[in-house]
Amino acid sequence: MRAKSNTAEKIAGAVNITLLLLLCLSILLPFANILALSFNDGTDSALGGISIWPREFTWANYQEVFHNDDILQSLKISVLRTGIGTALSVLLTAMAAFALKKKTLPGRNVYMFFIVFTMLFGGGIVPYYMVLKSLYLTNTFWVYIIPALYSAWNIILMRTFFQSIDDSLEESAKIDGAGDYKVFFRIILPLSLPVLAVIGLFNAVGHWNDWYAGTFFVKDKDLYPLQTLLKQMLDSAEAMRKKMMVVYLPGDPRQNVTGESLKMATLVVATLPIVCVYPFVQRYFVKGLMIGSVKG
Amino acid sequence: MLLPCLIWFVVFAYVPMGGLLLAFKEFKFNAGILHSPWVGLRYFENFFAYPGAWQLVLNTIIVGLIKIVLYFPFPIILALMLNAVRRRGLKSVVQTISYLPHFLSWVVVAAFTFRILSPNDGIANQLLAWLGGSGETFFMMEEKYFYLVMFLTFVWKGIGWGSIIYLAAITNVDPTLYEAAQIDGANKWQQTVHVTLSGIRTTIGILLILDLSGLLSTGYEQNFLLRTAGNSNVADILDVYVLRTGMMQGQYGYATAVGMMQGVIGLVMVLLINKAVAKLTDREASLW
Repeated sequence: MRAKSNTAEKIAGAVNITLLLLLCLSILLPFANILALSFNDGTDSALGGISIWPREFTWANYQEVFHNDDILQSLKISVLRTGIGTALSVLLTAMAAFALKKKTLPGRNVYMFFIVFTMLFGGGIVPYYMVLKSLYLTNTFWVYIIPALYSAWNIILMRTFFQSIDDSLEESAKIDGAGDYKVFFRIILPLSLPVLAVIGLFNAVGHWNDWYAGTFFVKDKDLYPLQTLLKQMLDSAEAMRKKMMVVYLPGDPRQNVTGESLKMATLVVATLPIVCVYPFVQRYFVKGLMIGSVKG
Repeated sequence: MLLPCLIWFVVFAYVPMGGLLLAFKEFKFNAGILHSPWVGLRYFENFFAYPGAWQLVLNTIIVGLIKIVLYFPFPIILALMLNAVRRRGLKSVVQTISYLPHFLSWVVVAAFTFRILSPNDGIANQLLAWLGGSGETFFMMEEKYFYLVMFLTFVWKGIGWGSIIYLAAITNVDPTLYEAAQIDGANKWQQTVHVTLSGIRTTIGILLILDLSGLLSTGYEQNFLLRTAGNSNVADILDVYVLRTGMMQGQYGYATAVGMMQGVIGLVMVLLINKAVAKLTDREASLW
């Protein structure tokens, strides 16, 4: 039984939609701008005035990106850490969540508190760094993986999901003689694909976007992930250019690549995977968030 | 099964807490934390003697307030707006676009910000010039714009994602309540306030607390990246200061002391807000 919309409500509805569309524009326009700049001739861009469409189209910026060793190397690092880090993390988090969901686990509440407390308080970055250093993790590839293996949030999310799996499945497997690991791999995991996918995606995004570890815990440029490199470029667009020190023959399109335009192209490359994958997987993220929120 | 997890937490979360001892010692590289000389509260005194100290604390509190209090109605508003849209197709398109910024790294968002606000050729300035302004404002270098920029980008990035849970909560509100309100003569606006909002107040409470505790761990990324020489007076917050003096300048003991204070302040804030929320929602929403 719906009340008939009167004019005031119609206007409110229209205003509502307009505002929402404005929001969408505010998100899409910057993307368009960056894209346009990345496809635009560098020296032409410096003249200003580019908004959402390139004036002097060129592939040169991207050519430079893919020939630039620093960028390629950091891309490799980012891909590697995202792949390895995510896989390990999901597996280990699942194991922990599985163990924590069992009501028969002695000290279960203590463990939960132990884990949750870390969400509220920490030692701070300096002691953290010291620990990393003493474990010889700094300046190695593993500094991206090992400290990121667990997150209290993910554990809780997974545990909530596991709790919704019927206990009887586990019990009947146990009666048939299966040990914990068998139960875990044969029964729980296959049933939990949605939540594994979600945690996996959260993790992957986290890894891909992390600029922090590379900036503070790593000295070797060869070990920088893409976002850290991007941050450096953000700090000093011209310095990046000077480092290239290559002289191009006149007529070579790459001659006009400036620090800024290179930055734009790199930005696009850094964001592209997410933007491409995103429309397809965002449904799962949303579901994952909802599962987690049920806990509250 | 649980063992690696527990070990991990001990190593990466609790040992660093022990490292807080560093706040009280003057760190000597060859002696390590345990054997470095004890300096007591010296670092804490140093901090308060530092002329910029109060500005830092002030900035930290302001930034915290902005990011929690000022920001917090926005995802709710967005959820309410989305809820009012009848056409499902449009609604899901808008939703999808709105959560996109959440998945970008702060580096990318900071890069966008600098580019758009760039003097003369950033779109913001171009727009201003078209509307009759000067188009030359160097937004990122001026103190007065910093909080606005920080706030807007923070909202931009988080509003879509933040609205998801609220939207879910809104759909959970019993529809018969709306009908009852209508019968009592409430118009759409009154319905929204009294039925929808109070129906989701538990969710609001929990999210407020969670947002706050989340702030403790990621609040500084944005500030660190958006800071320039021009706006550093207001952009520097305690976290950023810790990063700079500790990791970049190597004053480990001092930085740890400052970091510790900030951690304690954060914890106290979470506990206080938790209490407040518990009271307001009659104990329905609270972390424990």
